[in-house]
Amino acid sequence: MAEFRLPANSRIVKGITHAAPAGARELRQVRIYRFTPDSGENPRVDTFGLDLASCGPMVLDALIQLKATVDSSLTFRRSCREGICGSCAMNINGVNRLACTTSMKELSGDIKIYPLPHMPVVKDLVPDLTNFYAQYAAVKPWLRTRTPAPPDRERLQSKEEQERIDRPAACILCACCSTACPSYWWNSDRFLGPAALLAAYRWIIDSRDEATGERLDELEDPFRLYRCHTIMNCTDVCPKDLNPARAIAEIKKMMVERQI
Amino acid sequence: MPSRPVSPHLSVYKFKYTLLSSILNRAASLALSVGLIALTYWLLAVADGARAQAQAQVWLATPVMKLFLAGLVLAFCYHLVAGIRHLVWDTGRGLERAAAQRSAWAVGAVSILLTLVLGYCLFRCGHAP
Repeated sequence: MAEFRLPANSRIVKGITHAAPAGARELRQVRIYRFTPDSGENPRVDTFGLDLASCGPMVLDALIQLKATVDSSLTFRRSCREGICGSCAMNINGVNRLACTTSMKELSGDIKIYPLPHMPVVKDLVPDLTNFYAQYAAVKPWLRTRTPAPPDRERLQSKEEQERIDRPAACILCACCSTACPSYWWNSDRFLGPAALLAAYRWIIDSRDEATGERLDELEDPFRLYRCHTIMNCTDVCPKDLNPARAIAEIKKMMVERQI
Repeated sequence: MPSRPVSPHLSVYKFKYTLLSSILNRAASLALSVGLIALTYWLLAVADGARAQAQAQVWLATPVMKLFLAGLVLAFCYHLVAGIRHLVWDTGRGLERAAAQRSAWAVGAVSILLTLVLGYCLFRCGHAP
């Protein structure tokens, strides 16, 4: 259900301000959402002074630098630092994106970093993605076939057939899109969200998959698919330039087409 | 396990064209629902005879009501044009990021233009001999 106000334990209280490093040449304020489960306290937003002159260009560089030099308890996920693992997805200056591919130069004013919106927070910038992954698993993201596989080779596709799934298959499951979607905020318990639906689409249009009908049956539901109201935040934020909104529109089209 | 806080959403998310066009469409539909009350009142007054109708005309012609009706015309136009945008989307077209951004602003501009035209026509009707 839509609940616009944060529950009592989630409201942000005043945070700590860390002094800027001495002799900073290019000072930038970074405000970061902090939450420690053991403290029993509400989340807060801490302010850090960062010298851009002695830091790498990306937001992830800033986080790593602050963790190394100011507060080692600062917690965030990161791995590949080149936009392919999807670990460092977070809300930066109001928009969901990957910290590793977001240049601080393209952000104006103070840099404000929050966890992905409307998610349970484990610690600081780390959201609990259990439900998100469960929804991905729910669309059965693997090849479902009835016919036996050819004994001497793989199931082949034409070049064109491969190209159709090329883009949707490039999803890195960073959750930027789903957690940017207001429909997902209010109904994540029943609406699958753009990421899972993009994955569903990727298997529906796969020329080798033989469960298209079942896949559509599984999505034919007022919530699972049809909570998408084409707000377009998903496509707007995708760091891989994929288009979940169009994938969902295509699924909706197939739902209609198979009835006429 | 301690209960986990919910990360902030509406309070931190940037209010972009996506959210704006979506919430305006909802607001317009809500306004139209409220407008139905005014329409019902007017229809009842018409059915009730000449005196009740004359009374309703006076009340509906007050500046506040005129402003309200102008708002309704705008809501009607916006909802109509935004609805057409959704119909186009349902055919699988116009869903690219740049196209969606363009159409969001186009819906606003066209609905304001339509409101001015419709408003002018209504105004002329009101002053017809």
